[in-house]
Amino acid sequence: MIEATGLTKVYGDKTAVDGVSFTVQAGHVTGFLGPNGAGKSTTMRMIMGLDRPTSGSVTVNGVPFAQHSAPLREIGSLLDAKAVHTGRTAYNHLLAMAATHSISRKRVQEVIDMTGLGEVSKKKVKGFSLGMGQRLGIAAALLGDPQTIILDEPVNGLDPEGVVWVRNLVKYLASEGRTVFLSSHLMSEMALTADHLIVIGRGRIIADAPIGEIITGKGQSRARVRTDQPQQLMRLLAADGVSVEVQDHELLEVTGLPPREIARTALDNRIMVYELTPLQASLEEAYMELTKDEVEYHSLITTGVAAPAQTGGNR
Amino acid sequence: MSTAALQSRRPEGKIGPGPSFPRVLHSEFIKFRTLLSTLILVASTVLVMVGFAALNAWGVGQFSEASKSDPQAAAAFAAQGADLTSGIPTSGIAFAQLIMGSLAVLLMSSEFTTGMARSTFTAVPKRTPAFVAKLLVVTVCAFVVSMVSSFLAYLAASPILENYGFDIDLGTEHSRRLLLVSGIYVAAVAAIGMSLGTLLRNSAGGIMSLVGLFFVVPIAFQLIPGDFFEEARKYLPDNLFERIVAAAPAEGALEVWQASTWLGIWVAVPLVAAMVALKQRDV
Repeated sequence: MIEATGLTKVYGDKTAVDGVSFTVQAGHVTGFLGPNGAGKSTTMRMIMGLDRPTSGSVTVNGVPFAQHSAPLREIGSLLDAKAVHTGRTAYNHLLAMAATHSISRKRVQEVIDMTGLGEVSKKKVKGFSLGMGQRLGIAAALLGDPQTIILDEPVNGLDPEGVVWVRNLVKYLASEGRTVFLSSHLMSEMALTADHLIVIGRGRIIADAPIGEIITGKGQSRARVRTDQPQQLMRLLAADGVSVEVQDHELLEVTGLPPREIARTALDNRIMVYELTPLQASLEEAYMELTKDEVEYHSLITTGVAAPAQTGGNR
Repeated sequence: MSTAALQSRRPEGKIGPGPSFPRVLHSEFIKFRTLLSTLILVASTVLVMVGFAALNAWGVGQFSEASKSDPQAAAAFAAQGADLTSGIPTSGIAFAQLIMGSLAVLLMSSEFTTGMARSTFTAVPKRTPAFVAKLLVVTVCAFVVSMVSSFLAYLAASPILENYGFDIDLGTEHSRRLLLVSGIYVAAVAAIGMSLGTLLRNSAGGIMSLVGLFFVVPIAFQLIPGDFFEEARKYLPDNLFERIVAAAPAEGALEVWQASTWLGIWVAVPLVAAMVALKQRDV
């Protein structure tokens, strides 16, 4: 279990993480979702004791990370695929990390096989692809057979097979009762992997709820309506908080009104409706809705200027 | 890539061994020996030490041959002959300290430039044990490499000197002190290098600072006129080392214990600063 209380990190005049409080429960895959520069990586580095919080605190299984007697056996982390000296082989990197906790060579070989690094484990990390680097990072995270696993953008650079593998791995780890906390800016990946979502934007928590609740809870109800009198129906439906969009000849999309109300209005006014389909918001839409005010780096395509270079991001 | 290969869950409340100092030391030693750059720098040190001693031996021999025709020069040469040869095994020490010092800078700065530091300090979150372990590995290596290469240099130089009727006596008090202090000094430079690498977290910056301190500043102080620089020069690490190993100290020189103490301060201050910074700063 990971517990953050009022966690804050200020770099100069920029507040990267702003009084964040959350709990990551064991036995679930908890997704940490947010746009680039939202403070995901900084929060994770603070959990791992690498960055000192400006204020607030974070504990893992009730104790600050640095005070665990055997940290690697308690929490495994992939914070950055490049947390490796590239002049060393993958095997030697893992061996050096294992040595700090008297983890056996057998276990080192085990995580190498588990992550599919067998063929390249005796090669220097310098020549690794991004995906291989990720696998090495995951191997390092699993080394101590930890109860808590933290993965920052684990599917970055993985091929489709690797993505499926990570998805199954984290679900399996959670099913064993472990705490799994993974960040991503890929909503589609989160929709398939996570049970619970913590959404962060500009250093603040925007949502912290089961994934189903985030999809249905925040999005307004929408429905697709086909009628042969679209103009009349539009006029009748018009009200505060309701928007009607003409999508095609005789096809409307109504937002902010439950299907039952639409049907009632149509019936009362003797307007024929030949399709009325409730539309479910996707995680993508729910997320856009949640973070629309929180995105730090809007693209400036409309002004004809290229999108600004991304600062922040994965430091 | 099967998830079934995961170990079974450990019983509740039981957790395996953590990062005790001997384990961290073992880890740092693995890290040290598994980098090609380390091995190259160590080999270069040995090569340079042996090469310089051989060249020096040949030079001394040539000079003695040349001075045979001049009785005055020959007499002067004979008077200091033993001192000349005793310094031959350690004649490449200035380069050894530079290379081993750079190695020490690199071992720490590369942790930060490659991101390895994040792995190192999540495994050892108290940080100081990892620093001390690395320091121990680096300084012991610097000392051993310096001693071994001095001895190899002696083996290489001896036959050359014998051709000219000289020999090196490693048994004299001065020879032994020169050898031992040189080894300690190279270790001290490595310790300073590691502190610089920790404080600057940048390879080029760390190495240039080291070169500045040991090569540029002493020369600059010599060139700038004035009593202040003349006096201050005595306290530079390189001159402190020269003083400790000098057979006959110059007029107004520091006592050996004073010079040793100052050298200790040169090592201790950056080390303490580096350890405090490492503990305080974000990785």
